This record gives sequence, C-alpha cells and structure tokens, in this order.
Amino acid sequence: MLLFAIPFAYADPKVDYLLHCSGCHLPDGSGLAPVVPTLHDVIGRLVAEPGGRSYIVRVPGVSQAPINDEKLTEVINWMLTEFSSDTLPENFKPFTAKEVSRARSQLLADPLKYRAELFPDY
Amino acid sequence: MKPNDLIEHGFVWLDNQAGESARLLARLISRRSFLGRLGAMFVGAAVLPLLPVARSLAQEPPQEVGDTQNCDYWRYCALGGTLCACCGGTLTSCPPGAELSPITWVGTCHNPADDRNYLISYNDCCGKTTCNRCGCHSTEREKPVYFPSKASNVLWCFGTESRTYHCTVAGILGETADLGK
Repeated sequence: MLLFAIPFAYADPKVDYLLHCSGCHLPDGSGLAPVVPTLHDVIGRLVAEPGGRSYIVRVPGVSQAPINDEKLTEVINWMLTEFSSDTLPENFKPFTAKEVSRARSQLLADPLKYRAELFPDY
Repeated sequence: MKPNDLIEHGFVWLDNQAGESARLLARLISRRSFLGRLGAMFVGAAVLPLLPVARSLAQEPPQEVGDTQNCDYWRYCALGGTLCACCGGTLTSCPPGAELSPITWVGTCHNPADDRNYLISYNDCCGKTTCNRCGCHSTEREKPVYFPSKASNVLWCFGTESRTYHCTVAGILGETADLGK
C-alpha cells in the first residue's frame, strides 16, 4: 500500500518531520480531521494573524517535540513552505531559532480553547 | 399486437438469447479456467507496480534478512505488541477483517543487511480482539508513556472505526543517516 511505498533517503528537516510529526499529521501533512488538524494551507494563513506565529510554535506537538530549538525551527519553516506555500503571506519571514525558543517556553495550557478564542475562523 | 405485448415479447426473446449464450459460455469455459484467468488478472495487477516505469521513479527497497515472525527482526526494534505477520497478516499488512490505523508513531531501526538506518512506522491493526501470537516488547529509542507520542506501548487505534487492538505492522517511511543528532 502507498503508506509503505518504496523508501527514499531523506535529509533534515524532512527526517525530523517524519520522525516527530508524521505519526499523527501523516507523511503528506493532510492530518485526519477532526482528530488531527491538516497542515495544508491553514498554517500559512495562521502566521499572518496576530499571535499566530507564536501559536504554531506553542501547540503541544511542536513545543514538546524532542529536538532542540535550531532543528525545530528548520522543521517549522520546512512545513510552512512544503504544505502551505500558497497561503504564506508575501512578506513572510522565516522563523529564527531565537523566536522559536522564546515561544516554545510559553506553556499553552489549553490549546483548543486558546485557538477558538483567538482564531475562531480556523 | 398491443405495444405492451410487443415489449413483453421482446424481453422473453432477450431472456432466451441471454440464457442460451450463458449456457454456451459455460460449456466452452470451465470454472477452473475462469478462476485461472481471474487469478492471472490479480497477479498482473500486483506485478504492475514493479514494471520498469514505476521502478525508475523509486529507489530499490532495502535488502533485508531475518524472520518477520520473530521479535528480533530488525524492523521490530521498537515494537510493543503482537506481530501481524504471525496473525494472518504480513510485515506491512493487517490480517483480514482488521483495519489499519493511519495514526501511528514513528521510530528508527538499524538494518543489519545494508548497515543503514530507517524510519519505521508502527501502525496498529484494529477492530478484532488481540491476537495472542508473537508478543514483542522492543524498546529502542522509544520513550515511557509519559511521552505518549514516542511510546510503543500506547494503543494506536486512532482514526479507525474500532479502538480494539489486534496487532502491529512495521512499514518503512524512509531512510535516514541523521540518527543520534
């Protein structure tokens, strides 16, 4: 079946995505609504919203990924361009490790509630 | 003849013709021959992805050695559960009647046959009572349940109709040379 297609040799940050994210978001980022949100298009729009940049770093799956700030930053920027390039704002600036480090240290105790309040359209 | 009778007559004629054709076909082609041809069609479908066009788009699968019905098989290095290969399924497919969970956890294992490291997806097969054959508890690079996304003992029947765990398969997502960083 396609899920187990012939393997390729991947390099960072795709390896980190596959290792730490794809178990739930699936290798192609499509997720499994409503249990697992898709990464397609929506994260590109979220980074343009006030508070959106820090939000996508603070969600538990990202902030608690067992990799350091630098590698996490690479994965986040890779996901945005890989899955949401069509919706990224034109003036989008890639995340820096410093920004990611700061955001992931701010605990998001209730992600769904926060999301519903801050981004009711998503 | 009324129009309705004409239609009725037409149907009877069609029935007779169809019945005659079916009987003729049955005389010419034995049941075994039909099954043989049907089997050839399925085999043909299975072989298609291996034809040169498809192969040129992908790399060769890794060389593998070992017994897929044994916990020591290299892909099972972090598998906690029962092996679908022992339960009527295979290394990568669920037994009949069980549903593959799309949500899973991904670990890494070292393939001794080619000395490379691979990303292994441990997908659970769900919807049947637990298979009691080939129970394994391998823990390479997995984490305790306080870190559920990396815990092999968590039941990964998410996104399936039933949460009942049956067994686990081990598919390769890709190769990586970046382990241990």
